[in-house]
Amino acid sequence: MDEDDVVRLSGVTKTYWLGKVPVTGVTEVSLTVRRGSFSVIAGPSGSGKTTLLNLIGCIDRPSRGTVTVCGKDIARLADDHLADFRARTIGYVFQTFNLIPVLSAYENVEYPLLLTRTPVGERQRRTQAMLEAVGLADKHGQRPNELSGGQRQRIAIARALVKDPGVVLADEPTANLDSRTGHDIITLMRAMQQRLGTTFIFSSHDPDVMAQAEDLFLVRDGALVDRQVGDRA
Amino acid sequence: MTTITIAYRNIFRNRRRSIMTMLAIIVSAMAVVLFGGYVAMIMLQLETEFVRRSGHLQIFRAGYFDFGAGQPEAFGIGGYAALIDRLRADLVLAPKLRVVTSTLAVTGIAGNFAEDASKTVFAQGQVPSERERMRHWDDYGVGSGRHRTSALSDDDVEGGVIGIGVARMLFLCDDLGVNDCPAPPADLTTRVVTAQDVPDEDFSDLTALDAVEPAHTDPRPKLDLLAATAGGAPNVVSLAINRAESQGNKVIDDNFIAMHLTLAQRLVFGRGTPKVTAVVLQLVHTADMAAARAYLTRLFVAEGLPLEVRDFKDLNPRYGQITGLFRAIFTFIALIMGVIVVFTVVNTMTMSVMERITEIGTLRALGLRRGGVRRLFVAEGLMLGMIGASLGVGLALAAAAAINGAGLTWLPPGNADPVDFKLVTVEAPQLVLSAWVLLMALAALSSLLPANKAARMPVVDALRHV
Ligand SMILES: Nc1ncnc2c1ncn2[C@@H]1O[C@H](COP(=O)(O)OP(=O)(O)OP(=O)(O)O)[C@@H](O)[C@H]1O
Ligand SMILES: [Mg+2]
Repeated sequence: MDEDDVVRLSGVTKTYWLGKVPVTGVTEVSLTVRRGSFSVIAGPSGSGKTTLLNLIGCIDRPSRGTVTVCGKDIARLADDHLADFRARTIGYVFQTFNLIPVLSAYENVEYPLLLTRTPVGERQRRTQAMLEAVGLADKHGQRPNELSGGQRQRIAIARALVKDPGVVLADEPTANLDSRTGHDIITLMRAMQQRLGTTFIFSSHDPDVMAQAEDLFLVRDGALVDRQVGDRA
Repeated sequence: MTTITIAYRNIFRNRRRSIMTMLAIIVSAMAVVLFGGYVAMIMLQLETEFVRRSGHLQIFRAGYFDFGAGQPEAFGIGGYAALIDRLRADLVLAPKLRVVTSTLAVTGIAGNFAEDASKTVFAQGQVPSERERMRHWDDYGVGSGRHRTSALSDDDVEGGVIGIGVARMLFLCDDLGVNDCPAPPADLTTRVVTAQDVPDEDFSDLTALDAVEPAHTDPRPKLDLLAATAGGAPNVVSLAINRAESQGNKVIDDNFIAMHLTLAQRLVFGRGTPKVTAVVLQLVHTADMAAARAYLTRLFVAEGLPLEVRDFKDLNPRYGQITGLFRAIFTFIALIMGVIVVFTVVNTMTMSVMERITEIGTLRALGLRRGGVRRLFVAEGLMLGMIGASLGVGLALAAAAAINGAGLTWLPPGNADPVDFKLVTVEAPQLVLSAWVLLMALAALSSLLPANKAARMPVVDALRHV
């Protein structure tokens, strides 16, 4: 295993059970994601993109195979340890933004630092810096419902990056945005990735997003059908 | 900005639902505090009434309580004066004692021979000044209501007080100025009531035998009191009636006579050794009662005295009955209120969890542990309980203050005299405090069920939820 691999899936199968009916999420997927890369998992609807991200993001466990994230085999971690691991290591950007509605923009960004018990001074400094980096320092007191979709996703990006995670996962982050805003968001993420050196893994079927990918993984019907590794951008 | 902040803000997210939930808690808190205050008032007033009337503890000759009623000669305490001195000087007991007095209970027949009427009565020989002092016991600030001055006094040995029923049956209503005394039925030919054992003869010459009969003419209405002496022979004394008083209970009213201890002793023991049937102890605080009773019991055993001790609850079974009844009603109401609070909070919190499934999934994905999710919802339930219970208790205290300030009086169950209507709330803070704490705890516990449901949700399913 390469030291530079942040994520490593080997022979991963995920089967969901709808009652007694098995539903295939992904079958026999093996892949590695390089540290600091901007990777995209692409494929049609229902092909298993979200399933893969959930496995990498340690919110789901494989039925078979091993998932290693930042050197940890997630199958070995108990639920609370897995949660702590996510709190330290994984940044999430969701398709539907998923900001906490009762928290202000600032508090939403600050929240992951509370989970990692970051000291108050550093917390404020980092939160403020992140808000500035996504260009929303002036919206710090606003609640999510007072922000536009693009602004919400920027806050979500700030929230994902504020703890300086090992890997940021974004499941179709532009799907709920108009193409212009979506493009801005991708540009922002790309810029942040280059500035911070964070590993980004996307799922998308947006050509604009795919065009930004350094590494591209194509999935279909739960199987990895193609990979294009190297600096495509 | 932690669990508490998030929980607090979520309460205001669905205002209407939160207000309805809090309203249920507020109403429960008010019901429990106000009705509890009412029950506490009744219990304190009842206790005060009984402690004023019969003291805390009474010392009898062993066996009197169960077998001695109506037999003062067989169950009298002869050395009572020495016993009283002994108790008043006791280093352990004396500081706790308020009144030590003695009483002689006599069953006899009272006759108003001017009207040719007589009836069986239950007479109490008392030391008037000490009895009067007992009637001023007010450890709970119940007040005296419409407190009457005593109609007996230490230097009026012949004076007596009768129940209004006795006055009615012995045709003394007019003489004693008793209001609303019904006229006797027209066909009431024989005026001898419940006097099967009384020989139908004139007792007036027996009365004449009494050596201590005052020479001067007394204007008060008279009754002749007949009882068996210690030797078994009948004896009669004359009683000058000062007043008829309601006793708050028909049976007592129909049989009650209070008289000077000396006169009662003269009736029962003649010129023999005077005895009493009970030594009555009134303590400063009821809290000392159990200890004092145990101390006395040990003392009597140690000194080989054939005496027994009973407390006011033994002497007045009605105390236990009435307080038991109210306690049961209170428990019932509190239980219903508790059930309502549980159902309301479970319902509200379940809806809250259902609405926030995606949020739960997000928090978990961000790295919040299951326990953190559980805490979030329990905190929300606790906060609903806290706000509701605080408002409810506050409103109840305000309502109680308003009611108490209105200066109402009422007749508590078992009382003879009306007393102030004052709900016991801040005076007995343990009720208010436990209502407050229990309601909060109940709300928190009720939210545990939905909170666990939220915590157990698989993250992936929660995030897929739309
Ligand atoms: N929790 C689940 N329970 C049951 N079946 C599931 C679950 N999650 C995914 N699946 C199924 O697994 C397959 C892959 O789903 P997945 O969500 O990973 O696809 P996707 O590529 O993300 O699709 P989309 O582009 O629509 O988001 C689908 O057939 C889906 O129905
Ligand atoms: Mg998907």
